[in-house]
Amino acid sequence: MVNRLRFRRASRRGGLTHRHGALLSTYGETQMTHAPAEIAIEYEIAERSPRRWLSTPRARGMLLLAPAILVAVLFSIIPLIYLFQVSLTRESSFFFNAEYTADNYLNVFGRYRSAIIETVYLAGVASILDLVLGYPFAYILIRKIRYREFVRTMMTFPLFGPLYLAFGLFYVFLPTGPLGGVFVLLGVDIAKYLFSQAAVLFSMAVFTFPFMVMNIGAALANVDPLLEEAARTLGAKPWQIFTRVLFPLSWGGIVAGFLMCFGWNLGVFVQPQLLGSPKEQSVISLQMFLKGLVQFNYGLAAALGVLLMVMAFAVTWVSLRFSRGALGA
Amino acid sequence: MASMTVDVSPHAGRGSGPRWFWNALAHGYVWAWMAIFALPFLATLIYSLRTPDGVWTFSYYQYVFGSFRENLLLSFETTLITIVINLLIAIPAAYAIVRYPIPGKSFILSTLNLSLYTPAAVMGVSLVIAYAFLFRIPQTMIGLIGAYVVGTFPLMLVPIIVALRDLPMVFEEAARTLGATRMQTFWRVELPLLGPGISAGILLTFVIIFNEFLVTLFIAGPGLTTAALRVYNLARTAGFQPSTAALATTMQLVSFTVVLLFFHFFGSRYLKGTYLI
Repeated sequence: MVNRLRFRRASRRGGLTHRHGALLSTYGETQMTHAPAEIAIEYEIAERSPRRWLSTPRARGMLLLAPAILVAVLFSIIPLIYLFQVSLTRESSFFFNAEYTADNYLNVFGRYRSAIIETVYLAGVASILDLVLGYPFAYILIRKIRYREFVRTMMTFPLFGPLYLAFGLFYVFLPTGPLGGVFVLLGVDIAKYLFSQAAVLFSMAVFTFPFMVMNIGAALANVDPLLEEAARTLGAKPWQIFTRVLFPLSWGGIVAGFLMCFGWNLGVFVQPQLLGSPKEQSVISLQMFLKGLVQFNYGLAAALGVLLMVMAFAVTWVSLRFSRGALGA
Repeated sequence: MASMTVDVSPHAGRGSGPRWFWNALAHGYVWAWMAIFALPFLATLIYSLRTPDGVWTFSYYQYVFGSFRENLLLSFETTLITIVINLLIAIPAAYAIVRYPIPGKSFILSTLNLSLYTPAAVMGVSLVIAYAFLFRIPQTMIGLIGAYVVGTFPLMLVPIIVALRDLPMVFEEAARTLGATRMQTFWRVELPLLGPGISAGILLTFVIIFNEFLVTLFIAGPGLTTAALRVYNLARTAGFQPSTAALATTMQLVSFTVVLLFFHFFGSRYLKGTYLI
């Protein structure tokens, strides 16, 4: 009796059911003779009585997912919806009786248009730098290098965060820095580049470089080296192999990598603050901090946030379509 | 038909120049980039070990265990709590997603991953407004942990899903056929086999939360300054100080040690498709 109960319970867990059926059919007919009828009865009871509903696989699955969904709704979805609501209210009016207005958005697309352009420009240029410099890197990494794990380990340094990156680079850009002598030898006045667009772009490109290499590398790993060999034997020049073979076959990885870098770079915050001039410091994230937490103009900060969020989600959505859901189901 | 001629010399393949030259160039390029990756860390390290007069010293590291001690302890504390909560949330969720028939699975998964694609500053500003005027928990530990959990449990979820999908049903079925209960199967069979996937999740959560400063900057009050936020605050207000460099070096060394340990024991297989490579 106990065994039977146990079997009934096992057979009720969704994904398992059909596989269990297959298993049983391969391992012996004896159990199959009486089990299916019992399962059918159990299922009918389960569907009819609400008390039994909880023991259906679907309900159990939802129950296991419940904490995750609860956290996502409480700390991600509700705050984002509330952010949208606040972005539509007149300055500070949402404390008492909210007046709804589109002023914040008019403001964002009017006075802050240059901030939007600056953000997109910096993110775009940094991502193009990543693409141009990252493609050869990914190719060499996949095709030529045996110490790949070591390179991967070194690539985790930028991923610890743009803060340490910008902080460390600050010292590199000083004339007294660790490479000061090298720059003097090369005749470069490195201090000139501190608090400049070049410094910001460089630090942004280094921070997102691993994402680009990861995406292009994944695409290139799926390209058979024999195709290159074949092209070469048939007389193709190296640049022809690139434009006719490698580039079309790794196109998905290129787009996914570019958009991923672009998405990360859109939210850039600390690099302009530590390494940039006031022009670079007008990026949306920094403006949001300034308006929201320094000047307490929550409506405007929320509108900037909604804009940045929409841009980031759009970029991510396209990127995931190209990488065929590296992260998903 | 000049383009049809086939070059069969040993140096064929690269348009011009001998092969060793191109190989050296390729390896040199990768090593140059590795130098760039390590450069900010090395610069910070060097700066933390020298006084302004150019004398080499360890004396700045006394601050790490002195005035920065509380920040470091808070960092470890919040990271640890976040990892535990992430595990409690992500393991059942991954199990449900892989093994149970759930309606709208891909929609649920994208909803859970939503916070992963939200720029940190947007998350910060949305949470600071929601905490202050909706939930009424401004500048609290609960709020901070909530933000950390929602930001990183998708990263815990993905490696566990990958590991669970790779796990053949055979082990589970064998245990069940031999009479193990559902819970016994999970604790004795599946959990040990999921070890690498779960460790990957722990690694990702650790690396990100331990070094997180931006969301913290928005939502943490004056009493909740984590070590990474302290680095940011000092860099912004006090400029470039050797003591700050010492703290930044310590943080990076801790993170890098954890990454090295993970790569040594598990390799990078379970990190595919996630934040780290």
